[in-house]
Amino acid sequence: MTTRSTRTPRRRTVIALAVVLAVLVAFVVRLVDIQVVNAGEHIDDSLRIAMGGKTTLYGTRGSIVDENGNVLAGSILTYDAELDPSNVGPIERKDAAGDEVEVDWPTVAGEIGQITGQSPEDVQKIVADALAVNPKSQYASLKNGLSTEKYQQLLDLRIPYLTMRPHPARTYPDGAVAGNLVGFVGSDGKPLEGLESAQDSCLAPTEGERVFQRGKDGVIIPGTEQVTPAVDGGTLTLTIDRDLQYYLQQLIAEQATNQGAQHGQIMVVEAKTGKIRAAAEWPTVDPNNVSATAPEDRSSRIFRGTFEPGSTFKALSAATVIDAGAATPTSTVTASGRETFPNGARVQDAIPHGALNYTLAGVLIDSSNVGISKFAEMVPAQTRYDYLQKFGIGQVSGVDFPGEAKGTLRPVDQWDNQTFYNTSFGQGVATTLPQLMGAYQAIANDGTKIPLSLVESCTAADGTVQASDAGASTQVVSASTASQVRELLENVAVQGGNAKATAISGYRVGLKTGTGEISDGSGYKSGVYFTTMIGMAPVDDPQYIVAVTLDQPTAVRSSAANAAAFQKAMTQVLKTYRVLPSDSQPELLPKIG
Amino acid sequence: MSTTTSAAWAIEPLGQRPDTGRRQERTLRPVEAPARRRRPRLVYGIIAVAGALAIAGAQMVLSVLSTQSSFELASLTQQQRDLTVQKQILYDQVAGLSSPQYLAANAAALGMVINESPSYLRLSDGAVLGAQQASVYTSTIDPLGRGAVSNALITQTPLVTAPDATINGVQAPPAVETETGAGTDPATPPALTDGLPTPATH
Repeated sequence: MTTRSTRTPRRRTVIALAVVLAVLVAFVVRLVDIQVVNAGEHIDDSLRIAMGGKTTLYGTRGSIVDENGNVLAGSILTYDAELDPSNVGPIERKDAAGDEVEVDWPTVAGEIGQITGQSPEDVQKIVADALAVNPKSQYASLKNGLSTEKYQQLLDLRIPYLTMRPHPARTYPDGAVAGNLVGFVGSDGKPLEGLESAQDSCLAPTEGERVFQRGKDGVIIPGTEQVTPAVDGGTLTLTIDRDLQYYLQQLIAEQATNQGAQHGQIMVVEAKTGKIRAAAEWPTVDPNNVSATAPEDRSSRIFRGTFEPGSTFKALSAATVIDAGAATPTSTVTASGRETFPNGARVQDAIPHGALNYTLAGVLIDSSNVGISKFAEMVPAQTRYDYLQKFGIGQVSGVDFPGEAKGTLRPVDQWDNQTFYNTSFGQGVATTLPQLMGAYQAIANDGTKIPLSLVESCTAADGTVQASDAGASTQVVSASTASQVRELLENVAVQGGNAKATAISGYRVGLKTGTGEISDGSGYKSGVYFTTMIGMAPVDDPQYIVAVTLDQPTAVRSSAANAAAFQKAMTQVLKTYRVLPSDSQPELLPKIG
Repeated sequence: MSTTTSAAWAIEPLGQRPDTGRRQERTLRPVEAPARRRRPRLVYGIIAVAGALAIAGAQMVLSVLSTQSSFELASLTQQQRDLTVQKQILYDQVAGLSSPQYLAANAAALGMVINESPSYLRLSDGAVLGAQQASVYTSTIDPLGRGAVSNALITQTPLVTAPDATINGVQAPPAVETETGAGTDPATPPALTDGLPTPATH
């Protein structure tokens, strides 16, 4: 069969087929290259070169809510109105009868101004100014931050040279309630203050993108749309109770004004968890209208301010000497109203008195500086320093508030003879209110210090909850020491000078006052004090710790100025959390041994 | 297609004949009668054309439908946008009305006070725990007279319970010229004409 005549056509066929196959293979290779290997690149090209469009999808910044889910900070849209001055002129509009009428620019400017709250002249001036700078100007900002209602009204005017850009903004439905903690964002949406700034990683949204191709009529061609969705920011849940926070803010404003103080603060901490339930201060900021508040009042003095605590420190000194085994609540020292110690340090009490055989309880009840100095010298300075450190003095709390102050607790080798005694009654050290609250929380919670927390959790947009972790709790003093110190504090409340003013009927309360001298750089200011009252209730099983501070009250200059505020604040806290009244009686300790 | 088939049928099949004497028998001879002409299978043609038409038709319908739905989609998107705007407007209108200072000021305008100390009734034995005293007619705070917790969202919003007041307290009414009648003593408070504001309880 393989004759010459038959072989030639077959060979031709084979060669032809081979050529066709080779071409086919080349096409297939190229096809795979385009469709698979470099597909992404070509899709990008096609979208870019063709009638492609792309919009950025903005996620919503997460809300900040209180412990019950009430919104303290939420996101809204405001609108920035812009004019195109080069196109400004009369516009055509249909009147009621359906006829085309021409409306001249001044009339249009009047209509715009009526909505934006500007005078017609102002609107015209904006355009005229832009044209004066550049006759071909296509951009003049009319007004920023317009509400949605005004946006809709402006849109209904159908003015071709007026455009409006949506602009994410923050709103704070409760105004100044917790404004000191929540903070605020700038007009560009950048967080500037408070938790808005500290917890930005939880709150900030992730931008998405929508890529598509459009038909000639502007309608998106079905099937060409590719969406990378934006991810909304997470919801930040605080430990704050907004109603309690409101009440305390109103209360501290009234009380600080009554007492002629520079500013005042009230803080509430849950004893068993370390959660901050309220941190109220006056003056404070309304994040909706930041510029109405003086720059120095726009943050939180609670976290950024430090003060010499004064006598509230005596409870910590008492805890130290009891826990170190140097004294008991009924141990005694002999103390006069004014004494010079062997090392040359001079200490005096607020009220002059002769030599008294004070018990430790008596020292706290009368708040005797000389008395606590004598108890303090029973333990070495280093031990006292170690205890103060364990109580959290001189360290930032677990709250992680931006710009939180550390206070000052100098190491023992820097203590001079005077500081050795002064530290025992809270002078020569600077603390923040959260540090003091943390120390008292340990006493209230059987000696276990749980780091304070302000943030409960962050709930991401997909529902995953990340609880905040403030750190491990530590045993500062033994449960028995804590219980003895609480007994001392209750005796201060019952037998002290503010007993009547601070009593809450039905409840057993323990508290300590502090009238701290205020450093003016070189010495102490004369006649004005930083007054504190800190306490816990019910003292037989402490649930809440409340502290009230006033900076330089003038109506009453001592810590008695804080009594009314403390009593009302504590009552409100016990009511808010439905704490049951105590069913036992306090045990009175002797003042004089 | 059909023509080829009929042509093939017109030729005598050759395969069955034995090889021997093949050349002799392959002589041309006249056909006695024309082969029966077979009608082309019309049904195949109809199916093919109808199929093509159906495909074209379906394509047109689908295209119209998808165009239609893409316009519908655009209009729904617009509607959604309008509703979002409406929602935003409504949200703006009620923003701040749920704030504690607004509630407290409204309550204070009704004459409500914040009780000093609570009392509790224990259900198990009927014991009354706590202060066990009636509330005094003074509030521990004064949200209306000394409102100190500002809220820029509702500064101008009148209270529900006292339309002439806001959270910043009672606004000074516009100066009204007082009648200097013989019987009016400027020190005497003006007589109540509408009575004390009372809640309408049903």
